[in-house]
Amino acid sequence: MVNVTLKADSNQGLINRNIYGHFSEHLGRCIYEGIWVGEDSPIPNTEGIRNDVLTALQKLNIPVLRWPGGCFADEYHWKDGVGPLSERARMINTNWGGVEENNHFGTHEFLRLCELLGTEPYISGNVGSGTVQEMQQWVEYMTFDGESPMANWRKSNGREKPWKLTYFGVGNENWGCGGNMRAEYYADEYRRYATYVRNYSDNQIYKIACGPNEDNYHWTEVLMREAHQHMSGLSLHYYTLPTGVWQDKGEATGFNESDWFQTLKRTLHMEELIVKHSEIMDKYDPECKVGLIIDEWGTWYNVEPGTNPGFLYQQNTMRDALVAGINLNLFNKYNKRVQMANLAQIVNVLQALVLTEGEKMILTPTYHVFDMYQVHMDAERLELDYESPGYTFGEDTIPQLSLSASRDQEGVIHVTACNLSHTDELEVVCQLQATDSSVASGRILHHGEIGAFNTFEQPENVTPSEWKGVTLENGQLRFVLPPASVGVIAIKA
Amino acid sequence: MNSRLSMETGQKSERSLCKGCDDQYDVQISEAKLARLVELASRSRPVVADAEYERRLSSCYSCPALQYGSTCRYCGCLVQVRAKLLDSTCPFPYNSRWI
Ligand code: SF4
Repeated sequence: MVNVTLKADSNQGLINRNIYGHFSEHLGRCIYEGIWVGEDSPIPNTEGIRNDVLTALQKLNIPVLRWPGGCFADEYHWKDGVGPLSERARMINTNWGGVEENNHFGTHEFLRLCELLGTEPYISGNVGSGTVQEMQQWVEYMTFDGESPMANWRKSNGREKPWKLTYFGVGNENWGCGGNMRAEYYADEYRRYATYVRNYSDNQIYKIACGPNEDNYHWTEVLMREAHQHMSGLSLHYYTLPTGVWQDKGEATGFNESDWFQTLKRTLHMEELIVKHSEIMDKYDPECKVGLIIDEWGTWYNVEPGTNPGFLYQQNTMRDALVAGINLNLFNKYNKRVQMANLAQIVNVLQALVLTEGEKMILTPTYHVFDMYQVHMDAERLELDYESPGYTFGEDTIPQLSLSASRDQEGVIHVTACNLSHTDELEVVCQLQATDSSVASGRILHHGEIGAFNTFEQPENVTPSEWKGVTLENGQLRFVLPPASVGVIAIKA
Repeated sequence: MNSRLSMETGQKSERSLCKGCDDQYDVQISEAKLARLVELASRSRPVVADAEYERRLSSCYSCPALQYGSTCRYCGCLVQVRAKLLDSTCPFPYNSRWI
């Protein structure tokens, strides 16, 4: 059993809704077939965007969606992707194995998707192979409300009013696929490109600089030292690989208990990365004006056997549910610095929310975790005091319990909880301080097998259910987390 | 996203190949590799007889959904592997081309 104290009057600041953001890259079947099927497809669609995926994603109230990459962003020339479909340039997506790109999904289609989802777009501009002028013109095309060559072109392509665009990335992974730059060089390039990312009319852009990969603290130091006055956010990328080895990352399904443990242990490494990068950011920006934007995170396994390796298609099990739950609890915990996070990737690629096959679509365990956790968006984080029991496997021990708590705008307190242990349940007794809430109910995502997943034949194998046994009496909340589970509790007056 | 680690600082001891030089993400699969993958899949799961395999594959080869000579756009599968396995289906929307 573990004792927890929840301080209901401990306002720890807002949990930015953008922590629950997503990422959609032109990669494998994420955009094409996953989101975009085209208007002449037999699959029911709205202006080319498939309806089943749209409906599923609408339920999650996705706050922000990043596009068009990824590595693809630094090779993407936006002018190829506007105007009549039949006249759009065909190109080769060399980052992703030489895939053909017909540019049918471009700026107008992406921003329409965002409108249909009710989500904020986050566009990544091209620093690696693009020009300052190209980036300047893209922002002008999307946001300028008046007469100008780009605004007029937008109008002639069918969009009279400009779009509202807040989030703009000035390059992506410029330490790697975005140009193999040194931090010192990119910092200067960032300053130059960002200068021409203009605020037109009343549109205000939140500029995001390319930040470090994993534990590249030197990169954060240089970017913050040289350019923090010119940025609103700095990105961080960290993927969970069960093995930690890129050449053989481990399998998405059929894994053993050791793989389970190692994967969760590597997921917890995210906390060290947030803390250490934040320490560097604090030196230059003690007031936390620059947000840490974790715009790529999630699991990365070997592709599903028998699928094209260039498509990065993987299954998604209870293990991914735990990875999502643990990371989201961490992002909540560091809400002061972490202002956005984008899971990679939304459909059919890596740790996806939904998977498609022809006209079929299934929801993954990760989808269900995002559904359960959406209660934290824009809520006030509440302090939790507890010491987690250890979860030991072999010679290693990690915490067994991961928790978050917040109060939403209606005054409802929500607690999200993960039990990392693959064998042991965990009883939690939580003292609620400074609240007279008296009713608690919950939902839980749990399956008898740690490797359980949904298939097109069995789409409901892993789904959340009512969490029986959650009680609240005399200010004491009690619940039992089954092994390998993720739960959410609502506490009301 | 990128599989490669920073080329910049030299701080990494465990450095992976960059994607540009790493054929693990190439969509073009060599015939030898395809044959190996078909063989691997056949070891652990029931397969169809050769005639049925050829029949399925001939549908794929004339299908507008076939990409790179190997990949079905509707499921991302390598059709040579998918067609070999007994319980596979063709994911052509609403209208299997293998029937
Ligand atoms: S849709 Fe069917 S016939 Fe066409 S490539 Fe895919 S599996 Fe083959």
